[in-house]
Amino acid sequence: MSNYETYLLAGVAIPFVSFLILMLFGPRLGKPLAGWVAVAAMATCCVLATLTMVGWLGEVENGTAAEMTAAAKDNQFYWADLGTVPINIGVNLDSLTVIMFFMVTFIATWIFVFSVGYMAGHSDEVGGQSKYHRFFCYLSLFGFSMLGLIISSNLLFLFIFWELVGLCSYLLIGFYFDKKYASNAAMKAFITNRVGDFGFIFGLMMVYFFLGTLDLDGAAAEFSRQYASNTGVFDPAFTINIFGWKVSGAMLATLMGVGLFCGAMGKSAQFPLQVWLPDAMAGPTPVSALIHAATMVAAGVYLVARVFRLLTPEAQMFIAGVGCITLTAMALIAIVQTDIKKCLAYSTLSQLGYMIFGLGVGAWIAALFHLMTHAFFKAMMFLGSGQVIEGCHHEQDMRKMGGLIRKMPVTGITFLIGVLAIAGFGIPNAHLGLGGYFSKDEILAVAWDRAGIGGEGHGHHGDHGGHGDDGHGGDHALAGTTGFTLVAGAGGSHGGDHGGDSSEEKGSGALKLMFWCALITAYVTPFYMMRCWWMTFMGKPRDQHVHDHAHESPLMFLPLVILAIFTVVSSYALFRPLIADAAPALTDAVLVTSYDGHAYDAEHAKGALIKLEAAHDWLFWGVGWSWLIMFIVAIVIYRGGLDFAAKIKSAFSPIATLLEKKYYFDEIYDFLLVRGCRLIASISAFWDTYIVDWIVASFTSKVTERFSVFAGRGVDANIVDGVFNGMAVTSFDLSNFFRSPHTGRIRNYVLFTAGAAAVAILLILVFDQMSGTQVVLTSAGG
Amino acid sequence: MLTIGLMHYLILSAAIFCCGVFVMMTKRNAIGILIGVELVLNSVNINFIAFDRYSLVPGFDGQITALFVIVLAAAEAAVAVAICMNLYKNINTIDVDRGDALHG
Repeated sequence: MSNYETYLLAGVAIPFVSFLILMLFGPRLGKPLAGWVAVAAMATCCVLATLTMVGWLGEVENGTAAEMTAAAKDNQFYWADLGTVPINIGVNLDSLTVIMFFMVTFIATWIFVFSVGYMAGHSDEVGGQSKYHRFFCYLSLFGFSMLGLIISSNLLFLFIFWELVGLCSYLLIGFYFDKKYASNAAMKAFITNRVGDFGFIFGLMMVYFFLGTLDLDGAAAEFSRQYASNTGVFDPAFTINIFGWKVSGAMLATLMGVGLFCGAMGKSAQFPLQVWLPDAMAGPTPVSALIHAATMVAAGVYLVARVFRLLTPEAQMFIAGVGCITLTAMALIAIVQTDIKKCLAYSTLSQLGYMIFGLGVGAWIAALFHLMTHAFFKAMMFLGSGQVIEGCHHEQDMRKMGGLIRKMPVTGITFLIGVLAIAGFGIPNAHLGLGGYFSKDEILAVAWDRAGIGGEGHGHHGDHGGHGDDGHGGDHALAGTTGFTLVAGAGGSHGGDHGGDSSEEKGSGALKLMFWCALITAYVTPFYMMRCWWMTFMGKPRDQHVHDHAHESPLMFLPLVILAIFTVVSSYALFRPLIADAAPALTDAVLVTSYDGHAYDAEHAKGALIKLEAAHDWLFWGVGWSWLIMFIVAIVIYRGGLDFAAKIKSAFSPIATLLEKKYYFDEIYDFLLVRGCRLIASISAFWDTYIVDWIVASFTSKVTERFSVFAGRGVDANIVDGVFNGMAVTSFDLSNFFRSPHTGRIRNYVLFTAGAAAVAILLILVFDQMSGTQVVLTSAGG
Repeated sequence: MLTIGLMHYLILSAAIFCCGVFVMMTKRNAIGILIGVELVLNSVNINFIAFDRYSLVPGFDGQITALFVIVLAAAEAAVAVAICMNLYKNINTIDVDRGDALHG
């Protein structure tokens, strides 16, 4: 076991210890101390994660990282057998784990610090009992589950931790459970996630059934093997009959990927399960920052990235489609939001849609890179919004804010950095910009290429087998044994079924549409973010009371500043190389294609990754300056207050209403699902009250009554009690008999002793007589 | 002429022993019982000395043992008298029939 594994395992264990301490001794630790315990535990994890990452960067430099990954893979703990399949627990030690681990522990540490400040100003009593320690208790449990999820090398364990983070999310959204809206939001989040997890379980079952292992790498290897050898699920003769509907093996392979993706749809709140995330903002703001912006909702993206090798092109298209719908639809809703947290929530949904879309089109590196950058700047913006809400006396409505920059300069500036990052601030082609600029640009570049906007004649637009001929041949030759040659070889034998489809998809209408949606959304994002920032921090104060009240607290803005610094400096230099290092192994898929959308230094494009250069040239004009254009538009509209915006809104009132009602999703779900459930419940209640109860009352109860009378009076009173009473009476009589000699009188005892001695002597004499020897009493002396 | 032999001593000893046991059985006074015990012990002493005298092996083993028994009897008497005193302290009498708190 290498040091890194030990560090990572300790990093998972420490928050759990903190959870136990807070659960058992939390009330005794009291108000600030309980929070600092959680902070200390998470900070320790962060130190371990940093040590791991620094060491790991060295390993990557030396080229020894792959060996360590393999060694960690061998060093697994056998847990149990599931049927004939052994379940092994192990640490998934690779660059992706290391960087995710660092991201989660780092952000969590600062959010925990922020929480101490945030909770200091919040009443946390329910029924006279403080819930303060419980907040940090749940946060620690969340830290444990999230880190466990990241290091799990086995889908089953990933699923267990997956459910645990869901539970923590439920507990923390419903932290103010005495408020009806909070407990409803918690239930909504939990139930919506159940829907997604249902699909996830189906996916898991199919992985277990078809691939015979739940180990991530093992499953990927088996998937490749079956594809290459036309066996298992890819056997052309393999079909399953589901209610008379013949399903081919290839279709099942797609369904497996879609099933696994369903879990991600729930956790990452993708269309049509997006409804829970905006409501989840009912939880305390640090929770929104940590769980519902930076880490847990990104777990869905992480899952898709991990099972990327198990996807089929059809599943990948499905993922891209879902991501595209989410990113577009949610960005449009964000335009009309007036609640600062809701606005950020829709922006999170849209950005998660970007990541999912990125994975769907094959921008594996870019999607995870976007996950990282987004985690930092979105966590920071949520903390900023928490600071604003806290400072403005629990006012969340941006229409009542305005001009807060003078009162909260640090919050305003850090928030602006976040806005710039999410808007894609950067100078195109100058290698200068914030993280969000690079990550989003990469996703769009890959989508551009997949959609074939640049024309079919572009370098690698043929089938993938032809890669040796194009300009990237040199790169791929290095990885001649990776999935690419496998596709080339297998593509021919499978004909149009699997092999050729990725080339057929190129430039398909659906992908073109998706690309344009994503591109337009790249214009929408800067607009609503700048609108949000301007309404909050600039302009004239619209509510004097709120404005007078506004203030900043140092414990809360320190995390903001730290996260802002990280947003600016480290994302491109630190995150992307590590993700790119993990990519060749984790995207080495037989069926789906992945791209290194990074055009700036070509040596990063290696292995199974295709790099894009023409795309970036196109995007330079296409989207490069979107942030500037849309910032100006937003500032023009909101410069003079809300009147101009209101005019625009009334001009497009049907659309605005549609967006404000969130496309009526809540209403549709309420009508179909909630009412449906209630209808079923009332039918069941009728059945229960009138039919089941009648049977019970008139028949079963009578029989039971008769039987109990017989059993009670007949069997129990006579037979059972008789036996036990008889035993008692007998033993009483016996002991009475045996106590009679014990009179307590010495004379009697002496009599018994003497009598007994006399009898003994008599017996000896008699027996001697009978045995023939005679006791001869002689006088020896004469 | 009647020769006093072992048998006579044994009969004497047995008679005294029976007297002692009888005293123990009939007396209610604790001191009386103690006297009965002394009688029994002394009957045993007579036996020891008689067997010693008429033993085929010459020596004084029996007589020495008798001396031991006398010493033991003295010690036993001391203990018994102490018990009697405690009995008297607790129940104001030395009637042993009254001291039957441990009867079954």
